[in-house]
Amino acid sequence: MTTPASAPRLARSATQPESFRADGDLLMAGQPAVPFVEIEALRVKEFIPAAKEALTDLIAEQGQSKLIRPVFNWAGRNSLFPLHWGLACCAIEFAAAFGARWDAERFGVVPRSSPRQCDLMIVNGTVTWKVAHKLITLYEQMPEPKWVIAMGNCATGGGPFRTAYSVVPGVDKLVPVDVYIAGCPPRPEAMLDGILRLETLIRERKE
Amino acid sequence: MQTDELERTLRPSLGDRITSVEAFPDTAGRVRFRREAALDVFRSVHALGFHHLSTVGGIDWVDHREVFYILWSDDTRQYVVLSTDVPASDAHVESATPVWPSANWHERETWELVDITFDHHPDLRHLLTPDGYAFHPLLRSFKLHEPEELEVKARHV
Repeated sequence: MTTPASAPRLARSATQPESFRADGDLLMAGQPAVPFVEIEALRVKEFIPAAKEALTDLIAEQGQSKLIRPVFNWAGRNSLFPLHWGLACCAIEFAAAFGARWDAERFGVVPRSSPRQCDLMIVNGTVTWKVAHKLITLYEQMPEPKWVIAMGNCATGGGPFRTAYSVVPGVDKLVPVDVYIAGCPPRPEAMLDGILRLETLIRERKE
Repeated sequence: MQTDELERTLRPSLGDRITSVEAFPDTAGRVRFRREAALDVFRSVHALGFHHLSTVGGIDWVDHREVFYILWSDDTRQYVVLSTDVPASDAHVESATPVWPSANWHERETWELVDITFDHHPDLRHLLTPDGYAFHPLLRSFKLHEPEELEVKARHV
């Protein structure tokens, strides 16, 4: 284009083309043809703090209002990133759910390898007291907001190993659980159903 | 290597530190030794070519406990079993880690599950159960606990 790079592209000044200026009846001498919109050209370093400030002000102003929250919930429930880890045989079904046949990624569910990038922990297998500390550490490393799905009977209540010497009888003893999926192991359809129910929960989230 | 050959090889150097050498299925034999002479027996058997320590384990026979070592020789392609008895009230035996470093984790497992202490072990920590775990689950006196009871104990150790 012939527009000089230094000029803000949307700003209209008094130097309008004559044909444009001649149209309006309300046009007064010396006034621009359209209301003058001053748009600053910001560099990236300036833009990010400005946008952050504007967004922070907006959230502080709107707070828990009906305007902002549905947008966040919509974004959150359509891009659930579960932690990519496996504890026992439920992890096989977990892996199958992301294969070609069930393809959980069509719901925006993408397993990530770092807890820093996750907002969903799917506990897929038997949790022992030995691994309990690691599970809690991983959960605490995930940024808020975060959710937990207990997948299978072992994570729900200890399963067949409930009275064993080393098994945590239900992962809800360690971290808060949002959705329980029954089955030993649950089929991938059941896991997808659990994720969709979690999306329903997120849709109704108020705070 | 046959069982009698194994005994002929070990007996002159070890004497009565081995109590018996007996036939054992699919192995060259089972060498039972006194626990005070554990390191001598380990070194002698290692010198025979049994360089690979496959397993260390323990058995709770209620009145006493037994520690066994299963070894493999790449030269003769044979197993041999070493075993010794320790009293339940004073269950400890010398560690095999100076001879076979792979005994490290096996002995940690035996220590926490069967409650047999290995002297001079470099790193006798819990392997499968959490730190400070108060139970020895493979002892016959261990009863299955209600989950809540176990949870309270496992959390407060």
